[in-house]
Amino acid sequence: MGRSINGTDTLDAFDGQLNGLLSTVQEANTATQEAVVALERACFRYAGGYGVRDITLDLPAGAIFGLLGPNGAGKSTILSLAAGSRAPQEGAVRVLGSSLAEKGNDRLRARVGVLFQDTSLDPLMSVRETLWLHGRLFGLAAGDLHARIGELLVLIGLSDRSSDAIGALSGGMQRRLELARAILHWPDLLLLDEPTLALDPDSKVALWQLLQSVNAQGTALLVATNDVAEAERYCHTVAFLDAGRLVRSGTPAELKRGLRRDSVRVEWADPPDAIEGTLSAWEGVGSVTRAGPHLHATVDDASVFVPRLFAFAQGGIRAVQIHESTLEDAYFQAVRHPFAPNGRE
Amino acid sequence: MTTRAISATAATAEHSPVRRRSGPLAGAVIACWALLCRDLRVVLRSRSQLYSSLLLPLMLLAVLGIGISDGLEPSSSVIRDGDYVSYLAAGMIALTALFSSTFSSASFYRDRDSGMLRTVLASPHSPRTIFLGKALAAIVIGSVQALVLLAVAVVIPGIDLDWQYGWLGGFGMVIAAVLLLNLLLSGFALVVATRIRTMQGFHLVMNLVLFPLFFLSGAFFPLGDLPGWLYVIGLANPLSYAVDALQVAAYAADTRGFIGPAIDFAVLGGLAVVLFTLGLKRSPQVI
Repeated sequence: MGRSINGTDTLDAFDGQLNGLLSTVQEANTATQEAVVALERACFRYAGGYGVRDITLDLPAGAIFGLLGPNGAGKSTILSLAAGSRAPQEGAVRVLGSSLAEKGNDRLRARVGVLFQDTSLDPLMSVRETLWLHGRLFGLAAGDLHARIGELLVLIGLSDRSSDAIGALSGGMQRRLELARAILHWPDLLLLDEPTLALDPDSKVALWQLLQSVNAQGTALLVATNDVAEAERYCHTVAFLDAGRLVRSGTPAELKRGLRRDSVRVEWADPPDAIEGTLSAWEGVGSVTRAGPHLHATVDDASVFVPRLFAFAQGGIRAVQIHESTLEDAYFQAVRHPFAPNGRE
Repeated sequence: MTTRAISATAATAEHSPVRRRSGPLAGAVIACWALLCRDLRVVLRSRSQLYSSLLLPLMLLAVLGIGISDGLEPSSSVIRDGDYVSYLAAGMIALTALFSSTFSSASFYRDRDSGMLRTVLASPHSPRTIFLGKALAAIVIGSVQALVLLAVAVVIPGIDLDWQYGWLGGFGMVIAAVLLLNLLLSGFALVVATRIRTMQGFHLVMNLVLFPLFFLSGAFFPLGDLPGWLYVIGLANPLSYAVDALQVAAYAADTRGFIGPAIDFAVLGGLAVVLFTLGLKRSPQVI
């Protein structure tokens, strides 16, 4: 995230206002309604090890809740627990006041929408057929469904492609269609697993704007993502996950509290012992975290800190990265290792 | 389309109420019907599947039927006047159902791999309802294709079908036999598909089990003329009862030399229900 002024600033300002408005709506909803998803000390173990362990979290009604962590952190497992496709081996998971995994609770699914990480469209079906099948499965009457499909096709910008086969659509269009399918039945809760994975930047923004409009209508969003910038920009609340555990959660602002303006990452061949304490004592330096040869510090002004660090190190520093502090830095501080989207090395 | 255009449209979308159909049973019926329609559409678009299910039995009927009729002139208590083509017709109807049902059931794997199955299983229906809907599609597709082959056989001049119960009665029996056979095959396919993870494994099991059974079903040669031990194996083969029912209904002039329709339908119906129940008892983890 650079500090330079560029053409996207106007857009950012607009989105900032939009986010403020949506946050107000969300806070109003939160104040009046109970948690949409509640995990209480939930554990799920696969044959190869824990998917999640001892997770407790509440998704307030109307919120956009981000599950942030690298691959293997437990995000998808939490989503599958919330979707009812898996039941916790220990602890409890309640969705909209009941457990989806309970037998005979199928009707509760009518209030939940799911957007899977991988494409889940049949290339032999057309856009309209895809939505029609989903609507019928969710019990929408033919007349209502026809109107709803028309409305959604306008919403996702595919009105003129409704008869096209899925295979003829771009990746971004397919993702928007999947989103339209997930919200076709007006769910109270939308579960999204890496919704913008493999999308180009424009498609990502377009999809998030759709998601924000869905959320503005009262649907709570539980989003698994390993895109830190997206989580910071769009989620009202974010939970940091690492190796199946919830490390910290809060609003992006809360999570970033304590971070200084600049973030400095240093790769240092052989830093002295207790380097964290030494650097923390310097003026203008906030928290300092070390993970092997990687050192992470948030500082008031990198242009003052970095020359002082080089003078102190007297060689041995291999690389330095400077950027404005983001949620990724808060993740590093909380989890005590760098954020690696594809999992820890 | 720009991202701003999407946002502007999104903001105007109304969160209007929906009228939903009441009752889980009505919902399940609608879901099964929707899945049936969807699978039918997909099969109609998969031309290769459609043609191959019909072409192989027709080719066998023409090549094997004429070849054996003219080349070997078989004589048997069941095959009339060495007319092997007419005798073979009933077996080829069963073979068409076998092919079609296997292909349709394999769509389970295609749907799983494309992610479609995961999506429909996230709907407010039990996995049983979803698999029932897909099995119904397989039954309808297999039955329609088998009846198309019958229609083709009827219009081929060289094929002489006796319709001992009259055209209407015989045709009714053929429909019943074809439906029960497809029910049985779909039930078996469901049992296999819910237990075997790969499509290759599924086809391997289907081929290993069904094709040897088909050869010993009376489709290619009358069971009654076989040695005792082979005849007993033939009687233990569920497909024998489907082929027998089809032969009795369409080809045979009387029931001599055949198992008989009462036993055929009792065995087919009983087994179909058992296999279908077994198949629906277990659903795989796909999400």
